[in-house]
Amino acid sequence: MFGFTAKQLTGVGIFLFVLFIGVPLIIGATGRWDFYFTLTSVALLAIASAGVWLTFYIGRINIGQGAFALIGAYVSAILVVKAGWSFWISLPAAGIFAAIVAILIGLPILRLRGVYFAMITLVLTQVVTLTALALPITNGAKGISNIPLPSGVSLFGIPILPDFAGMENTKLAFYYTACILMVITYAALYRLVNSRLGHLCRSMQQNEELASSIGVNIAYIRIVIFAISSFFGGIGGAMFGSIAQSVYPSSFQVADSVNFMLNCFLGGLGFVFGPMLGTLVLYFGWDLLFEFGKYQMLIYSTILILIIRFLPNGLLSLRFGKGGDK
Amino acid sequence: MEQILANGVYLGSQYAMIALGLTLIFALMNVLNFAHGQMYVIGGFVTYTFYGQWGVPFVLALVMSCVTLAILGALIERYLFAPVIKGSAREESTMLLAAGIAFFLDAVILLVFGEKQRGVPKIVDGVFNYDFRLIMPYDRILICVLAILSIVAFIGLMQYTKTGRALRALAQDRTAAQLMGVNVDRYSMIGFALGAMLAGLVGGLLVTITGVNLGMGGPTSIKAFMMVMIGGAGVISGAIWGGIILGFMEAIGLAVLYQYGDITYLLIFVSLMIFLAIRPQGLMGKPWG
Amino acid sequence: MQRRTLFKAALTAVALTSFQATMAFAENPVLKIGFVGVTSGPAAAWGISNQRSMETRAAWINETGGYTIGDTTYDIEIVSFDDQKDPKRAIAGMEKMAQEGIHYVVGPNVDDGAAAVRPVAEANGIMYFPYAFPKSLYQAPASNAVLGMVANYQSGPAIYKHLMENEGVKTVAFIAANESDPLSQRDGGVEAAKALGLEVVSDNVTYQVDTTDFTPVLTPVMRSRPDLLVLSGVSPANAPQLIRSARELGFEGLISTETAQDAGVLAEGAGDLANGFISVGGASTPELASPMMNEFVDRYTKMFGEYNDESNTKVYALEYILETLKADPSAIDNVEAFQATMDSFEAPNPYMNGDAKLRYVGSTSFGQKRQVAVPLVVNVYQDGAFETLFVAEVD
Repeated sequence: MFGFTAKQLTGVGIFLFVLFIGVPLIIGATGRWDFYFTLTSVALLAIASAGVWLTFYIGRINIGQGAFALIGAYVSAILVVKAGWSFWISLPAAGIFAAIVAILIGLPILRLRGVYFAMITLVLTQVVTLTALALPITNGAKGISNIPLPSGVSLFGIPILPDFAGMENTKLAFYYTACILMVITYAALYRLVNSRLGHLCRSMQQNEELASSIGVNIAYIRIVIFAISSFFGGIGGAMFGSIAQSVYPSSFQVADSVNFMLNCFLGGLGFVFGPMLGTLVLYFGWDLLFEFGKYQMLIYSTILILIIRFLPNGLLSLRFGKGGDK
Repeated sequence: MEQILANGVYLGSQYAMIALGLTLIFALMNVLNFAHGQMYVIGGFVTYTFYGQWGVPFVLALVMSCVTLAILGALIERYLFAPVIKGSAREESTMLLAAGIAFFLDAVILLVFGEKQRGVPKIVDGVFNYDFRLIMPYDRILICVLAILSIVAFIGLMQYTKTGRALRALAQDRTAAQLMGVNVDRYSMIGFALGAMLAGLVGGLLVTITGVNLGMGGPTSIKAFMMVMIGGAGVISGAIWGGIILGFMEAIGLAVLYQYGDITYLLIFVSLMIFLAIRPQGLMGKPWG
Repeated sequence: MQRRTLFKAALTAVALTSFQATMAFAENPVLKIGFVGVTSGPAAAWGISNQRSMETRAAWINETGGYTIGDTTYDIEIVSFDDQKDPKRAIAGMEKMAQEGIHYVVGPNVDDGAAAVRPVAEANGIMYFPYAFPKSLYQAPASNAVLGMVANYQSGPAIYKHLMENEGVKTVAFIAANESDPLSQRDGGVEAAKALGLEVVSDNVTYQVDTTDFTPVLTPVMRSRPDLLVLSGVSPANAPQLIRSARELGFEGLISTETAQDAGVLAEGAGDLANGFISVGGASTPELASPMMNEFVDRYTKMFGEYNDESNTKVYALEYILETLKADPSAIDNVEAFQATMDSFEAPNPYMNGDAKLRYVGSTSFGQKRQVAVPLVVNVYQDGAFETLFVAEVD
């Protein structure tokens, strides 16, 4: 079916089952309700990390995803609070706005490679944070707080999306929303990687000059990929703002940009689902080590070092053997 | 005007020293060392402990900082970076390792040295004041001179000693250096130790002026990255120029743009982005790093 | 090798701590109080001084037989969560507190974290005591946040007024870090200064938090020659360097801030140059500190090796929670009862000499009582220690 093997389909089936039925059942049984928020965060950060992974796919180290997440969070917050839009319309708008910014910035900077691109995106994160601090529309240092919860949407009188404000348990609703977004993101990512565009990207990752010489329009592909990547960042950020019901210039900063990148490394650059696993381990791991009190950071970083020391190609390389590439 | 120039020289010399160690490590192993700032902080704390707490002479405390960091750097290279570089399909993976080490050192610093800002007694008292047009405390002048001397000594080491030649060969072309009989593993370790030592030295020097706290690590690394990028990654002279340029940019930027208040730094960062976009390899870097 | 030893040491320490914990909590039922704040990274000092004062007080209570609320005597356990100064983590921390069945939480330490945890706290019935100043956190419809200290828009005017009357201050300059909290505090300070009739000669110079040399930052401010230089929302790490740079540039006016500082840090970082520096503290000076305060400082020092003067202002939140619960035992798992009690609650302030009271205030600033009444003690630094400049009350 659609060129998938039975094994792959079973895997996806199990994954979806665990995500949408298994996790709520386990949480219901153990009573660990706090895990909902952590897992929601993982899903949203994994969406943004997917974008970073995609820029890795064209051979660029992207330490700027925090900038686009922050842009997304602000666009959505401003549209909801100041223009009175429904959150569900502001969500794609946030993604699209982030993508447009990415196109404008990408035109000059995507010519850069290696550490130079990494560095300029890092500076970009700083620039966006400082811009948010300075602009009147973002409310400067005071941030935007008291953002209303997503309202319901109905089409021809039939409710499609429920009103979050009227809900008893918004945790579950946010969890499902985030998971659905994440599944869509990774399905799109998988589709993209296995399309003609994906093949062209791989050829660029190997050697841009060569790709260019055989007629690949590398400038165009770079921009498209970077825009898609930033779209993911914008969506993840916007959703986060809605959960926290507030956005500050410090909501996403350099540390977040770096973490998005680390998620990709940890999961494995060669695997589409790498960033998802990386985010889960990095973010959830911190929460699990909560019991260790002041030694939390020490143990967390030691585990991190050990993982990279013994699995330098990411966690997923464990399954496919050393140096296994996709 | 004199004041701005003096501030620029002072900032530039200390920045250049921070950037030197980072760029050396980058040139030798293509590792963007996220833990560089943490090494700088450890250097500061070691000098603080010896000089500020135990009353050991300042110079000796500085030497202790250098030795500690050199050993730390060598160990990190030998047992962490070298094996990871050998085993990874894409060498950028070392960034994760570097970040992990940065987290680890942060945790150790917090546990060992505590969370408070630390400072040491001034090494020289008094302020040089030329008619209120140029004001510079003597300890700053001394540190500035020491920093410049260290840079000169470092350049001398790289130019005129066997180790320096081997390191330069390694930076230029790893394979060729190996073929010419350079012990690549050994010199990578030495290079890394040297880079870490520079971080420790500058940390020890600056603790007399700015003090030290565990939060300085991350931002220092980021600042050092910027200087390295301005000058051109992996080029020694580039790092020095990058440090000086960033130092002057801050000194001049703050003097000229201060009335814009909250957006001064925004303008500095934006101009940095524009500069990098126009000249992607920095001032004197090899294109594409 | 070094790492392995450290790791082993860490594991042993953790095992020991938990062992001790089980020993101590064997007898009484346990009352858990939460802390969500930053205890690692650049701002670690803020959260750690908080966490440690809570742990010191809890250990003290447990050692002396527990804390009696209603008919039950409880041992106090502090559950801490490190939010790494990240609002996203702060939410996770608050969820964790809800999970542990905790209804009273101290923190977060910064504006964005305090705003981000609000939905979780209100949904789960948690009262929290942030160290953040935005008024929207405490004004209706917000209901569950209680400001754990004196806000800068309350202490600032008191300080400026005092300095105008006693030191003849006429012009003032503000400088702040380029971050949400300090910038908001600066804007509040400027407003207050203007309302008092002070001339604000410079209010737009900012610095990056990672600045290592403040001379270029301060040079333009010094040119405006203010009588008073206010370091808005300055972190304890930056304060000594700013003071030192300002003095070395020849500044002879007064320097003040509205945040709490540590005398040891000032002494190390700026030495005699910090003499005359005005900051806000708790009952830290000898004439104000009660025997209980002194014992607290002793115990803190014994437990953690070194005292932090910032804890003078941070000892109160836990005391308020416990005293209010004592006044109304039904509030132990019911924050509505707690909120109702807040309006009339009053108890003697054990940390301060004289007849100061613990009570909730804030009607003027927030329209409801959502602030703990910490005595506004304005200190001046002199040769390694703080001296009391004046004491005021907030309403």
